[in-house]
Amino acid sequence: MTAALEIAGLSKAFGEKVAVDHVDLTVPQGSFYGLVGQNGAGKTTTLAMAVGLLRPDSGGARIFGADVWSDPDTAKALVGVLPDGLAMPERLTGREVLTYLGLLRGLSKDVVAERAGELLEVLELDSAENTLVIEYSTGMRKKIGLATALLHAPRLLVLDEPFEAVDPVSATTIKGILRGFVAGGGSVVLSSHVMALVEQLCDHVGVIDEGRVAAAGTLEEVRGSGSLEDAFVELVGASGAGAKELTWLSR
Amino acid sequence: MVVALTMAAMKVAVLRNSMNSQKAGLVVAGAVLGLILAGGTIAVAFVGDPDAGSVTGWHTGDLLAAAYAVWMLGWIFGPVFIGGGDETLRPEYFTLVGLRPRRLAFGLLTASFIGVAPAVSLVALAALVVFGVRVGSAVPVLIALPAVLLSLVVFVLLSRVATAVMGLALRSRVGAIAAGLSNGVILAALGQGWVFFVAFQQVGGIPPTASAILRYLPSGWGLAAVEAAAQGQWPRAAAALAAMCLLIVLLLGAWAALLTRRTSAARPSVRGRRPMTAASPQGAVVAKELRTWTRDLVRNHQLTFALAYAVFFTSCMLFMGMNGLLPYTGAVFVLMAGAMSANLYGTDGTVLWLTLMTPGASEVRGRQWAWLLTVGPVGLALTVAGAAITGGPWPLPLALTAALLGGAAGIVPLISVYALVPGIDPHRRGGNPLRSSEDDGSLTGLAYAVIGLGGLTGVPAGLVASSYGWPGVVVGLVTGALCVWGLGALAESRLRSHGPELLQMMRTGKRPESQSGRWKKFDDLPKRDQIIATVGWSLGAIPLFPQGIVAGVQKANGTTEKSWFLALHVPDPWAWPVVVFMVLLGIAMYGGALWVSYRPRPKKEEAVAAAAA
Repeated sequence: MTAALEIAGLSKAFGEKVAVDHVDLTVPQGSFYGLVGQNGAGKTTTLAMAVGLLRPDSGGARIFGADVWSDPDTAKALVGVLPDGLAMPERLTGREVLTYLGLLRGLSKDVVAERAGELLEVLELDSAENTLVIEYSTGMRKKIGLATALLHAPRLLVLDEPFEAVDPVSATTIKGILRGFVAGGGSVVLSSHVMALVEQLCDHVGVIDEGRVAAAGTLEEVRGSGSLEDAFVELVGASGAGAKELTWLSR
Repeated sequence: MVVALTMAAMKVAVLRNSMNSQKAGLVVAGAVLGLILAGGTIAVAFVGDPDAGSVTGWHTGDLLAAAYAVWMLGWIFGPVFIGGGDETLRPEYFTLVGLRPRRLAFGLLTASFIGVAPAVSLVALAALVVFGVRVGSAVPVLIALPAVLLSLVVFVLLSRVATAVMGLALRSRVGAIAAGLSNGVILAALGQGWVFFVAFQQVGGIPPTASAILRYLPSGWGLAAVEAAAQGQWPRAAAALAAMCLLIVLLLGAWAALLTRRTSAARPSVRGRRPMTAASPQGAVVAKELRTWTRDLVRNHQLTFALAYAVFFTSCMLFMGMNGLLPYTGAVFVLMAGAMSANLYGTDGTVLWLTLMTPGASEVRGRQWAWLLTVGPVGLALTVAGAAITGGPWPLPLALTAALLGGAAGIVPLISVYALVPGIDPHRRGGNPLRSSEDDGSLTGLAYAVIGLGGLTGVPAGLVASSYGWPGVVVGLVTGALCVWGLGALAESRLRSHGPELLQMMRTGKRPESQSGRWKKFDDLPKRDQIIATVGWSLGAIPLFPQGIVAGVQKANGTTEKSWFLALHVPDPWAWPVVVFMVLLGIAMYGGALWVSYRPRPKKEEAVAAAAA
């Protein structure tokens, strides 16, 4: 069976700094894949290259066997993406964003209207019907981003930090949607630096450190007998910074 | 005082740290240009008739009052043009310090005096002292000294208050439209200012009403004080100085109040929205763009600016009793609208990722249609109205409007993907919503490029229409359609091939390192060469075109109007040598700038040696 996402030898350097250094990752179909790493480890850069938003220096990515760079039309129709911190069509309302994007994806007008309504309702964005996206809160921006990723019913979701700044109630909703998506045969890749969340949701884990894959495999393989957090700290070799205290802070 | 001194020190530190070589070049060029203008103002104090009593002719006082009015307008509107003014120290930086508004305003005001612009203005204001010496004894000079300082404080404060008001106003659509209208009128007035001088020349000096109004403006109060002192009217002189002090106190209070408003958040707008009725991918892009044109304050401002500019530009000839430009209002509007929207993709920021993820949709075409639907009807209406008022000619204005509409609709998307200026994402814009990019210089360059290239697309239709009449309109429609189709296709293919690079540029806000090695990077030049390049590129046009070529043409035509053409002021045998010298000087300045910026092709042996290394 072809992998949902296959990343082979991806590399990217910005000037002198090597951000991603020969990353290979395979996301099997039907898996819930968590990509973990410290801030600046290269998660966002890897995911951006995997879906065709950033041109790699070398290496490539395939989505259900379709090459992202040589066959973008096929590859990009199969994937829904939630990038971190990028702009949206800011002067549209949530419903208009979904209508615009659905039509852009080639969906018929009726299908778009039906799906947009359902997504807004499930993600509890329908109360802000007349609010422009530019006036959304950070959590609402994440939710409308997720809605745009889901709209065309992709087979793979690539989500960059989907839970950041999302309130607990919405987070539960999103988790439910994602679990249902995987149960229905879909595949999800998400990046996060919250280990507990990845442990709770994912069945596969990839650990990225300084642009390289430090470990990858099923959750059990990566974490062994301990918790994912212990395994992560051991893998990235963080020194015991917690041991140092700020002397002036305690009385 | 401690706060004020700390802020002043902070500004010095920020300026020093941000003074990379490119910025230093700009500062030097700005200072040179400013000093030339200041020198001109001082020169004004030496010319004309200092005696206010005589009836006709050019009075020094009137000229100075006019000059200071221009300086004041520059202080008020200059920052608005460059998008927000001096933001070196932002009030937001100090929100957590808990300063009282007045102390904050006083501190920021003190810091405002550090910079090139206040220093240059001080030089220009020194003309008051010169004027004081010319009109009388030591007394007017004694009055001139405080008048100079108070005027400078008034200028700086007016500038800060105007910027703050603008920043608040721009949070609403009404404010953005108002700003666009006033900015357009002011810029057109700067371009067409000579009209007023010609009009005044016809009546032989500045009319008494105008000269009175100039003295009632705050920029004229210092002058009024000096004049009153020269005539021994002490109460009047004291009143003028006191009025300036009062104005300063009021402005400081107003600014303090505005600062507290600025640091609180804007309120969201909740209104009914019309439903989207598009049914195709391209229709969706058109619908999205049309909504953005009406809802985005930056784009509201761009369009109203173009409208105000065009209307004022052509109608101010009416002051001279000429209406021949009116039919071309539409063409000017179309070209200006193109220039203002030159950074089409950059203004929208990183939303480009959605375009990259939907490769099948024809994004550029949709944007072109939306641009034509927004600009076209207005442009056409202006052309028809203008031609109807003057009773023709019809073919030439219509041909130009058609050709320029198509040309700009083709050039705008093309230039915005080839020469993208990375913008600030709309949801990250700060206190001034009109500040869409940190790189104002490149934005201006892009606007000029669209005016130049767009103007070229009007040439064929214009030539045919001026010779043969109506067939020119057909030519305009054909070249316009070709531009929309061809340049749009080029833009589309560029977007497909370089989309990820454009997105990366917008994400990081930086242009990638230049690949071609023929042009040296400005930052790599030694200091001396940077100054040569900056002064050459920015000021070379002055001797070459107005002082050289235009003055030569005027001389050849036997024009008696001397204006500011040096060659027409010197005695006769020297006129032509001056023209030639000015042309050579201009060419030399451009040549020098080119010389230091351009890397000659490496010789064969050197290239081989480099390859071997």
